Amino acid sequence: MAPEGTPPPVVLACGEVRTCLLPALQALDSRSAAQLLGLRADERVLLSERPNVYGRSPDTLTGVDCPLPSANGARIRAVGTVAARASLTEGRVLQSSAHFRVPAAGPDHRRPWGHYLVRPGTVEPFGRLPHEAVAQGLLNGGRHGELDVGLIADGLLTRLLRHPLLDQRPPLKSRPTRLRWVALPAERDEGPSIERFTLAEDELRTVRLRVPPGTPSGEVAGLCDDLALHDWLLTTVVRILDGIRLGAAEPPARPRPRPGEDRPAVVTALRPAVDHLLHLWMPRARVAHELAPLWEALEDRPGFTRQWRTLVQRIRDQLALHAIPPLHREAEMTP
Amino acid sequence: MLVFAASDKGGTGRSVTSANLAYQRALTGDHVAYVDFDFGSPTAAAVFDVPGAMRGTEESGLHSYLEGAVTEPARIDVWRQTEHPQLRARPNQAGRLVLLPGDAGGGEFATGEDALERCVDLLLRLHGEFDLIVVDLSAGRSYAVDMVLAATAHPRMRYVPFRWLVFHRWTRQHVIAAAGLVHKDHGIIRGGVERGHDEEALRGAVRFVRAAVPDPDSPLWSQGTPAQAAWMQSCDEALRRLAAEHRIGDSVVLGVVPLEPILQWREQLITEEDVLSTQIANKETLEALEEIARRLTDDDCWGRP
Repeated sequence: MAPEGTPPPVVLACGEVRTCLLPALQALDSRSAAQLLGLRADERVLLSERPNVYGRSPDTLTGVDCPLPSANGARIRAVGTVAARASLTEGRVLQSSAHFRVPAAGPDHRRPWGHYLVRPGTVEPFGRLPHEAVAQGLLNGGRHGELDVGLIADGLLTRLLRHPLLDQRPPLKSRPTRLRWVALPAERDEGPSIERFTLAEDELRTVRLRVPPGTPSGEVAGLCDDLALHDWLLTTVVRILDGIRLGAAEPPARPRPRPGEDRPAVVTALRPAVDHLLHLWMPRARVAHELAPLWEALEDRPGFTRQWRTLVQRIRDQLALHAIPPLHREAEMTP
Repeated sequence: MLVFAASDKGGTGRSVTSANLAYQRALTGDHVAYVDFDFGSPTAAAVFDVPGAMRGTEESGLHSYLEGAVTEPARIDVWRQTEHPQLRARPNQAGRLVLLPGDAGGGEFATGEDALERCVDLLLRLHGEFDLIVVDLSAGRSYAVDMVLAATAHPRMRYVPFRWLVFHRWTRQHVIAAAGLVHKDHGIIRGGVERGHDEEALRGAVRFVRAAVPDPDSPLWSQGTPAQAAWMQSCDEALRRLAAEHRIGDSVVLGVVPLEPILQWREQLITEEDVLSTQIANKETLEALEEIARRLTDDDCWGRP
């Protein structure tokens, strides 16, 4: 084989993150987390305890050979591998994340698998890549048969959720979320930026980023995992607060409290948030230094941490209110 | 909580009644999923009035999911996608109401080990997300019934509470058939025990819903002759005796749904509007549905009779 020249630069990275509550009554400790995330015998699980307890599986690779979705209908076949990994934060929030990068151009024929295997997480197009159209196509979601990185993330999640360590007794009802992202190269000398962050459907978020050329796609995926985690936390706590009925008696259809469990419905609803979620907020805990400015933008608008603080304060206020004996509390509320 | 809706025969109003129960629970603030495992004749799209949303789910419904063709089955948000004008205005404080449709045109199919695992995956994911999951099963001792019996006996499902509702009409034939579906050799209890269920626990988790029951005291029949009234009264008593002999007597009945033309003919959700404003539905029917919906999670109504 002829020696290769400089490989064409990466012009597109894409990924999808699934985030859900770990379906287990108790959070997993580090050792159990390592068992859950030990996807490969030949590579160790990354465990860290500062600034929070976190575990990350080694990357698994999935070979793909299929068309890439594109917004303008162009058919671009691509071959390579998608990298996927799972992570567990504070033994409580499980994420699976799949991503790949695409160079500006590739050969117009398929090479032997060995070529692709030494480039993990790279998918090479046949010919030149219309990266803007493909980026939009990826965000919109492809048609059946086109490369769907979400499927790979979901397959990994399904595998993890079947693990016998999990007792399938989640302490609260919550909805998993999906965050789909693409990263395109930034203009010369420009820093990283978030072009768009949308809440597309109830559970789907899409993020369009610009990152300086040469930013490793694993680091972008790390940033997006962090975004997805905090977006999920906000979404979940907002829904818990949505579900409580202030000042109302126990709704008639709810099960009657068992003896010894006669605390107010509001406390019952908020308790799992206090037990399992409120201590998880820690933006940028594992985001690469160069990408950290992206978080600052989100803190400015829409103001992730600002919203989180308000939610936490609301939960604490509600709980404080319910610590007051009912006699006094109700007297205040009656008009 | 999982609630399986079963019936021995068609025409018991199982789908429409269980959909109404799902709707009533969502109104009270619960997040509810309605899973259409009626593989022979998926009707949920009509009941929730979501024909438009069903287009595009032909190849991503529950059949395709269980067969492994898609990794996630389609979901339809009923409040948002229904074409029913009164449902579209999601009432304040209502919970989510999500339909997981079957594939259009899908029939019964044999289930294997993989389909069972996927069924367990699905039920567990829904359990993590929804307060109540109503699973509508094909009539008779179908593959759907076998699959969920096996799924609920699966070790991964050991902490997921479930209950069975068996729907039957209030006739001799239907009473005998419903009792057979549960208690006979090839019934739900025996089938469940074969798959690892505890017999007593499973018995305690099965209740009956009598559907399309004419109430002799209702004004509908008050114009009848005394002879007619007496005859109805005696038939009703005979049926009660028959039901008790077949171990489906009053102590294991969760509720009685009156004979209601709107359920029989329109096969749709009964809204407050239907009762209060247009008055095409009877107040008693709505109240019966509300009460059954409440009892689904009232532990006093379940367990060993």
